[in-house]
Amino acid sequence: MKKHYLIFSLIAWLFISCEKDDVCPATTQTTPRVIIEFYDIAAPDEIKAVPGLFAIGLDSNANEVTIHNELVSTRSSIALPLQNNSNQTQFKLYESYDLIDSTVSGNPDIITITYDIESLYISRACGYINNYSIQTFSIASDNDQWMINSEILITQITNENEIHIKVLH
Amino acid sequence: MKMKSISKYFISTLGCLSLLISLNAQEVETKASDSIMVQEKYGLRLGVDLSKVTRSFLETDYMGFEINGDYRLLKRLYVAGEIGSEKKTSNTNYLSSTAKGTYLKAGVDYNMYENWAGMENLIYSGLRFGFSNFTQTLNSYTIYDTNSLTWGQNEVVDTESFSGLTSGWIEILLGIKTEVLNNLFIGFNLQIKARLFESEPDNFENIYIPGFGRTYDSGKFGIGFGYNISYLIPLYKRDR
Repeated sequence: MKKHYLIFSLIAWLFISCEKDDVCPATTQTTPRVIIEFYDIAAPDEIKAVPGLFAIGLDSNANEVTIHNELVSTRSSIALPLQNNSNQTQFKLYESYDLIDSTVSGNPDIITITYDIESLYISRACGYINNYSIQTFSIASDNDQWMINSEILITQITNENEIHIKVLH
Repeated sequence: MKMKSISKYFISTLGCLSLLISLNAQEVETKASDSIMVQEKYGLRLGVDLSKVTRSFLETDYMGFEINGDYRLLKRLYVAGEIGSEKKTSNTNYLSSTAKGTYLKAGVDYNMYENWAGMENLIYSGLRFGFSNFTQTLNSYTIYDTNSLTWGQNEVVDTESFSGLTSGWIEILLGIKTEVLNNLFIGFNLQIKARLFESEPDNFENIYIPGFGRTYDSGKFGIGFGYNISYLIPLYKRDR
């Protein structure tokens, strides 16, 4: 009889220890966004907030795409999601953005990021995430450019805890 | 935690084995006092796993077949084994993959049941070593991206096959076999498995291993069951 107890308790323990691993937990490291931080052109080592910073995505046909959860605010850094089905993403970054009577005011500059994509296996529940390797970062020149200069600090985008690109304004 | 689980498992295995040995010893003692001359059948029992056949018909993402057999060596001891083939597609929200391959399991069954005279049923525990050779195909996956609301989800349908994968495991069984007609047996068994080794595909993992079953993120353990119908080819008889 003793042996039966032993085997049955082993089975019971096995069922208890099995977890539901077909659902992707919300705490899983997701596909990271690119992090841009803004610095003072007069003192390049000092962080300088951008008043009324607001970002809009531009798709391959230059149509404006609303970035989910993006709000106008004065801040010194911004996180931008990259397109996973393209090696290039463009954004329109506004300084002093305002919307009055459906008229947009502020100074827009267009940035272009090109990158290589690497898919990394996470788990059966979450599948794969993408990591990026930044190839180029450029600011389209115009007559009223607020972003003056830039520097790629970290080429490999693997998480959102690091600053990938430094922009001087 | 993992080490603790593994040691727990091995202690249980050793426990089972030592009990088997002690039961064997008891048998030797009682044999002498057995005065009734009843003969028991010894031979080769061959069967199929009905649960795999049934699932093949009922489930669109499963195909499987298994032939099992055992040969009675001693009054209580059987050498036993299974050979089979499985194809299983596993889907989650973000991933679809198919595992396909063949497997072989070999080991022993030990009958723990003390039959009445003339009956030859089994309540048995068994031990197996399993080996599988399989191919795993990544059918499609969606990039996990919590910020995908901006640009949309990106599903990648880029079929990639990883062939020549192998895995080995140890397995403990608990089951019954009942003689329903002369020499015809039906049985049910439960299997607890622990993976000893596996070849992992690059930038992926083994979601399902033919013969072993699905894998779990929590560790090297797996479970399975079988519902068998088998026929005993009696070769000779021996006194009980």
